[in-house]
Amino acid sequence: MAFLRAVQVEMLKIRKSKMIWITLAVFTMAPMMAGFFIFVLKNPALAKSSGLIGDKAQIFGVADWPTYLSMLAQIIAVGGILVFGFVTSWVFGREYADRTIKDLLTLPTHRMIIILAKFLAVMLTNLLLSVYIVLLGVSIGFFIQLPEWSLEMVLDKGFVLVATTLLTLALSAPPAFLACYGRGYLAPIGFILFMVVLAQVIAAAGYGAFFPWAVPAIFSGMAGTETALGAGSFFLVLFTGFIGLAATVSWWLYADQH
Amino acid sequence: MDPVIQLSQLSKRYKNFSAVEDVSLEIEKGEIYGFIGLNGSGKTTTIKMLLGMVRPSHGSCSIQGRKIELSNHSMWANVGSLVETPYAYPELTVKENLEIFRQLRGVSDADAVHQVMEQLKLTGYADKKAGKLSLGNTQRLGIAKALLHKPEILILDEPSNGLDPTGIIEVRELFQHLAKDLGVTIFMSSHLLSEVAKIATTIGVIHQGKLLQEIKADGFKDLLRKRLVIDAREKDRAMTELNNAGYSAVFNKDGRIETTADYALQYPDEISRYLVSSGIPPTHLALEEEDLESYFLRVITQRKE
Repeated sequence: MAFLRAVQVEMLKIRKSKMIWITLAVFTMAPMMAGFFIFVLKNPALAKSSGLIGDKAQIFGVADWPTYLSMLAQIIAVGGILVFGFVTSWVFGREYADRTIKDLLTLPTHRMIIILAKFLAVMLTNLLLSVYIVLLGVSIGFFIQLPEWSLEMVLDKGFVLVATTLLTLALSAPPAFLACYGRGYLAPIGFILFMVVLAQVIAAAGYGAFFPWAVPAIFSGMAGTETALGAGSFFLVLFTGFIGLAATVSWWLYADQH
Repeated sequence: MDPVIQLSQLSKRYKNFSAVEDVSLEIEKGEIYGFIGLNGSGKTTTIKMLLGMVRPSHGSCSIQGRKIELSNHSMWANVGSLVETPYAYPELTVKENLEIFRQLRGVSDADAVHQVMEQLKLTGYADKKAGKLSLGNTQRLGIAKALLHKPEILILDEPSNGLDPTGIIEVRELFQHLAKDLGVTIFMSSHLLSEVAKIATTIGVIHQGKLLQEIKADGFKDLLRKRLVIDAREKDRAMTELNNAGYSAVFNKDGRIETTADYALQYPDEISRYLVSSGIPPTHLALEEEDLESYFLRVITQRKE
């Protein structure tokens, strides 16, 4: 009961914040851009006349549903690390930045309940953001009338989308710890940006399978990251998420809260 | 009667710095304990240890006989707190801020938010976002959060910060009502010494992390230095006459004559009679008492010496 109340409160705080609506607006741009590139790709005459944009669109390959859904998975893989990380950083860091943490530490509820409620609220929010991106993307796909829609393809790409989302969600736990340790948003946001850049470099060098922040992008089939992923890579991502969760819990339970 | 709040040899050490050193105190039910000290004296660290936010390096604290530790979280149902400047979720309204804490604290009375807003005169700001509130109203919101669940114990760090004079009086009367009529135990730190002097039943003086002195309000008057301040048209003559009579008079910084001789303090009328009979009638004669501020400065200065 206390847990559900805490989740409700966290969801209210997220819903009432400007952060979530700005994030949503920025994240909305991604499927719209993908839709635009696919539209350009689908219309060769337009691709020819649009110069550089036409050339860029060629990178994505064929203008059909499988290609387009792969693009959406890649958006979640890379955009998700940033966006989900921002949401997590805000949910945990704002308590320090707004100095409201003191009120949460003196509740007649075990601190573990508050932390887990925060994590669940973050997961639900990020999941909803993913669902929104997929629904918006699919609507755009139908609007531009992409070919090769089939149940088999939907199941196949749907699995990639769900798995990519879950992998990316797991990676949003370490920023929670950094938000607590750094007592605000700056440390985790800096960390996320650094990890995204590092993931690009490591994936390009061919070692992406061993770097958690590169795994979702590789799994989603991002161009230029053709590396074989074994069970170890997925375990590494989940382990990173677990470490983030455990570190955050330990911080709330055992660190001095100044 | 068992103390409601108990600190036993409480210490907090950081690498090369001792923030709180061997502080022990006990607070009984219905008491208002004023914890006074300079900035950085250890007040807030003590309060944070009492609220379980900071772990003591040594010693322990307990509330209603229960030791402050993670597993004893249910004790916070009886405690309302305010630490340093109160903050609220800026994007939520006053009502929403209180409502979420009503839910988090599991307060079943749905009217509790309305009642506490009335009590703290926040009803007019119910739908205003907390981020747009004045400092004084933010402070009222902080106190409202502390009182929302009708706690038996209040632990407040600088509760009068930011309040205007009317607000200070209202909050003082509220605390006095809570302690006197409802038996609420209040532990409050403040640097507004005059405010503490008006409200506290016991005063604890903390300096450089050490509890220098504990004074009961009823015994406090005996500790304050008194002096008889005299003025006359012929000051030098009056001074000579008083010294000749053995009253050890001196000129104070205002240029008036001052004596702390016991007889003079007990019988100022005799001093007046004496000066009149000497042909130097006083134009001013007043028995003045040291205030808490001067007393506090004297105590910590003696400590430094």
